[in-house]
Amino acid sequence: MTGQGVHPMVAVTLIGGLLTVGVYIVAVLDATLRALVAGHPLQVGSVLTGPIRRAALLATTASGDTERPDAQGWALAPALLAGLAAVALATVPLTPQVSVADPSTGFVVFSAAIAFVMIAVFLHGWSPNSPWPLHGAYRYGAQALAFQIPFLLAMLATTLPAESLQIGEIVRAQEPLWNVVRQPLGLPLYLVVGVGVSFWGPLNLPDAADLAGGTTAESSGVGALLWQVARAAMLVAVAAMGAAAFLGGWWGPWLPAPVWMALKTLVLLAALVASRHLIARVRLERFVVICWVVLIPLALVNVFVAGAWLL
Amino acid sequence: MGVRATLARWAAAAPVPTFVVAGFGAREAAQDLWLDPRIVLVAAPRQASVLLLAGDVPEPLLQAAIRAHDVMPAPRAVVAWRTSHRAVTERFPTVAVAEGPQPAEALVAVHRALRTGDQTSTPPILADVDPAPWRGEGPYGQGGSGMTGGVPYGRPMATREDDRDGLTLDALPVPVGPLFAGFPDGLSARITFKGDLVHRFELQPNPFAADPQADRDDPFVRALADPVPIAELEVARARELLRACARTLHLQGLDALAVRAIALAGRAGPGEAAAVRRLGRWVTARWCTAVQLRRVGRIEPAALDGLGVGPVARAAGLAEDVRTDDPAYRHLGFTALTQQGNDAAARLAQRFDEAVQALELAGRADGLRAGGNGAVEGPRGRLTADGSPTARLLELVPELVTGREWGDATAALASLDLDLREAASRSADVAADPL
Repeated sequence: MTGQGVHPMVAVTLIGGLLTVGVYIVAVLDATLRALVAGHPLQVGSVLTGPIRRAALLATTASGDTERPDAQGWALAPALLAGLAAVALATVPLTPQVSVADPSTGFVVFSAAIAFVMIAVFLHGWSPNSPWPLHGAYRYGAQALAFQIPFLLAMLATTLPAESLQIGEIVRAQEPLWNVVRQPLGLPLYLVVGVGVSFWGPLNLPDAADLAGGTTAESSGVGALLWQVARAAMLVAVAAMGAAAFLGGWWGPWLPAPVWMALKTLVLLAALVASRHLIARVRLERFVVICWVVLIPLALVNVFVAGAWLL
Repeated sequence: MGVRATLARWAAAAPVPTFVVAGFGAREAAQDLWLDPRIVLVAAPRQASVLLLAGDVPEPLLQAAIRAHDVMPAPRAVVAWRTSHRAVTERFPTVAVAEGPQPAEALVAVHRALRTGDQTSTPPILADVDPAPWRGEGPYGQGGSGMTGGVPYGRPMATREDDRDGLTLDALPVPVGPLFAGFPDGLSARITFKGDLVHRFELQPNPFAADPQADRDDPFVRALADPVPIAELEVARARELLRACARTLHLQGLDALAVRAIALAGRAGPGEAAAVRRLGRWVTARWCTAVQLRRVGRIEPAALDGLGVGPVARAAGLAEDVRTDDPAYRHLGFTALTQQGNDAAARLAQRFDEAVQALELAGRADGLRAGGNGAVEGPRGRLTADGSPTARLLELVPELVTGREWGDATAALASLDLDLREAASRSADVAADPL
């Protein structure tokens, strides 16, 4: 299926469906882990219907209206974030035969989508014309500049064994040995910064509690709903790419290829979601320092080791 | 119509997004709402559909609550619980009054009525006008001279100002509080930000001081005048300490662990000491909070020496405790626990350790009584008729947060466990009112 892809309408439907299911799973996982950590009894019915009820609540609430907001930017930001999540997910091959878009430059497309997340978050914080959202927007700027380099370096190392920038080839090259074994530093690095890309849990600095919700402090109604959905979608895209690039994608014994892909994505998704309930918010300054001083050198070592493996 | 009705039905069954304004006597009840899965407490009024006025809300907080109400999106409603009825109904024409020991039922009922259309959304209270007129001065009509420096519509713009390290950065003045969720209840300040840094911090008057209320139900206050059973004091202490830990956890984004701590505070008793110790070990583990809170909110031990600020001083290695001089506590073998960290991480660990110690003391207190001599070791430190640890800690606050990153500043404030109600009730003026 090299570069062939599927019919555009099928692609849109497939990505839309996958993201919808993924976002719902994020919400259910989040509610389940919250109940477990809080020590509440787990009520399956309310966990399963909770996301729908909360979505209905936001959908029937009026949208925020601050003093002289940038209305277009405010409306655009969640759409941009969701669109970037869709683009990122589209580059992930689902089975050996099916991939929405598996261009020869898949890695570059995915990286570009991740880089643009910063624009979406900044726009979301800038547009309401209010101090806390703006504060969150600037925070994300500092945070994103610091983690994008190790993120891309961790991903880049996976292209070396495949000798290709195509994600499908990266998965195919893992048939003898998954990248998580071949490049042990890769997956932890990828997950740390993956949490940052989705500004989730310990790296939720732009929408943090100490900013009364940060970029979301002035959001309500449909805008707030879309922002939450888009953020969860980004989490799904990051988990799916992690499964493809490090956990061998569809490879695995006994079970059919798509089941393996779904299971691995689910495992990574659970790990990412759980971080929110188990790890306190990281300090911005320390995180930026760690990114530049520790994560980037580690990611470079990872690239060198991956290169040496090929020699 | 079908879709809209279905959505409304689903929305009515969703947790109630509630913004709480907690006055006197409602600090614990407001925090306990975290335990109710039908309620979700939100950090900003924009995310709420019900405004809850709980307890006796003093005038400055009511004024802030009116502004919060007006930015809440429709449909919205106001619920009052244990408020001074007249003061609230004068300002909020359509307020639902909640009876009973907990406001949760009323919140759910009002939310359902709002979503099913049985109750209409409350109209705005203030006129929707600009805070100051547009002045149209300056080359860009920004209302002041130069590209920056104006105050269009009364909103100060970022201005250029020399930084402490010689860089020239935009300084943005922002009034914060008294309903800011990242602050202790009622704290308000005029803050000048430079990026994420607090460049200037001017504390504003305590809103609770406008109308201070006696706090006679508090066992520590009763112990000022009369001996009170140690078991009662120590269980109350453990509860307060766990609640303070929960506030820190919540601010750090660990809502679920905060809920666990609040639930433990609710059922705290001598039998729960082991559970508190387990939770303390979990929460203060390196990966959970310890690394993040290390070196945050440090205060020179010299500044704390003799201040009587309880866990904050003891987390800095100062073994100050009124209980060490009390014969009843000496009989129980009480010794003050200390830590060496002197930062937010040490204070969190200290509060968990002291909560465990308090529950163990309560378990073997056996009818012993303490107090009645005018000074008591409260959960925040030395309490007297006219002095509270919060009031003494508040004086350290501007220096503590100036020059810090905002996340560190809020974490440092949370680590002090300030209770502005206590500061208002225990001030010299109110103390004239005999207990």
